[in-house]
Amino acid sequence: MRNLIAFLQRFRIFLVFAMLQILALSWYVTYLSFPRNQFLTTNNNIAIQILEWEHDLTKHFNLSKNNTQLQWENTYWRKRQPQFMYQLSRGKVKINDTIFEQQYTYIPAEVINSSVDRRNNYFTLNVGSAQGIKRGMGVFCHEGVVGVIHYASKHYSLVKTVLTEDINIDVNIHMKKSDLPGFIKWDGRDPRYGTVTGINNDLRIKKWSTVVTRGGSGIFPKGIPVGKVSHTEPIEGQALWKVDILFAADYRRLQRVYVIKNLHMAEQTALEARIPRDDE
Amino acid sequence: MNIVYKHIIRFVVFAFLQALVFNQLNIGFGIHLMIQPLFIMLLPFELTVIPMMGIAFLMGLVIDIFSNTYGLNTSALVLMAYLRPIVFKFYGPREGYDPLKEPTSQDMGSSWFGLVYGLLLGLHTFWFFLLEIFELGRFGFILQKTILSGGLSFLLALLIQSFILNSKQKK
Repeated sequence: MRNLIAFLQRFRIFLVFAMLQILALSWYVTYLSFPRNQFLTTNNNIAIQILEWEHDLTKHFNLSKNNTQLQWENTYWRKRQPQFMYQLSRGKVKINDTIFEQQYTYIPAEVINSSVDRRNNYFTLNVGSAQGIKRGMGVFCHEGVVGVIHYASKHYSLVKTVLTEDINIDVNIHMKKSDLPGFIKWDGRDPRYGTVTGINNDLRIKKWSTVVTRGGSGIFPKGIPVGKVSHTEPIEGQALWKVDILFAADYRRLQRVYVIKNLHMAEQTALEARIPRDDE
Repeated sequence: MNIVYKHIIRFVVFAFLQALVFNQLNIGFGIHLMIQPLFIMLLPFELTVIPMMGIAFLMGLVIDIFSNTYGLNTSALVLMAYLRPIVFKFYGPREGYDPLKEPTSQDMGSSWFGLVYGLLLGLHTFWFFLLEIFELGRFGFILQKTILSGGLSFLLALLIQSFILNSKQKK
């Protein structure tokens, strides 16, 4: 017993150091895979309040650019409104649409905190579970895909962006004859460039062909832009292309985003739960 | 001014500067400015290592909360607090440090400050990016980030030091 106390006395500095390190690192390692404790992120009340003040101060910096973008988007949609169109065939009865049913709704949101130069980058949005945000919903902006909701508190939520290590959004490389399916990855270097993995090298890929979401997992609708192919290179020893893409959106100056709510999500997951599982 | 209040005020100012200003700057090339190591550096000489590690843990926690890095800053800052007495002892004067002085460049000389802070900041930054990227295959990228971010953070620290120096001379 005395030896033990003497040992603790002697190495107490190192023991305290090791304890604090283990605490910090276990927090770091566990949080990356699943959020357990929202207090230790920007989603707690005090931090979010301070970040809101900061955002109030800096949100006007890109105002004119944002306004131009929103105006462009407004005209784009306004052109498609029925009341602004010339009616070619008069006298027909208007009926409820039975061919198309709405599958996705969009919740507008504002990015109030963001980073792009870490290994894993998260954005904080000013909408939360009170607005119907849930973990796993997709987020996109006017120009392209942004990420997936990682954690939602009452009034705020955290987005795991495409600028993280283990984001797996299914995408298509849009070709003339067929679409090549793959997944987005990010290597942590440049927020403008990402990669697409899992592309077989039996087809040649044209430079600057567009990459869009595939919409298979129900998180994103089909066809939201992701980026453009900027460089392809064969991976040695594998029948795969290494495809670099230029992201469509500029994540460094992102302010307005939309959260996607899939109205058929419950139906899809319930259906896919019926797939018989292989027992390991 | 009471030394405890002075360091509490410094804690708040450094944490907020880091969270609200330097975290929001996206310079590119993987540069990530960090000023919180300077706070650990400027703690008084007579502070023992265990309370210092506690303070570093708290500081890291605050920065982590604001930047969604979940313990990364905490780990790096605690490591720096642990190493500080060792480095100080190694480069210290033979008769020990004068408790009336502060570990700043104007009290201890800029060559001492540059050497000690450069070493501590380098270790802190290297540990930070090693953990963040956590891939030995990309060691060159870790080194690139460490050298660029560490170098710029060092220059920033000298700048902040000169501000503290100027405000003291005016009084």
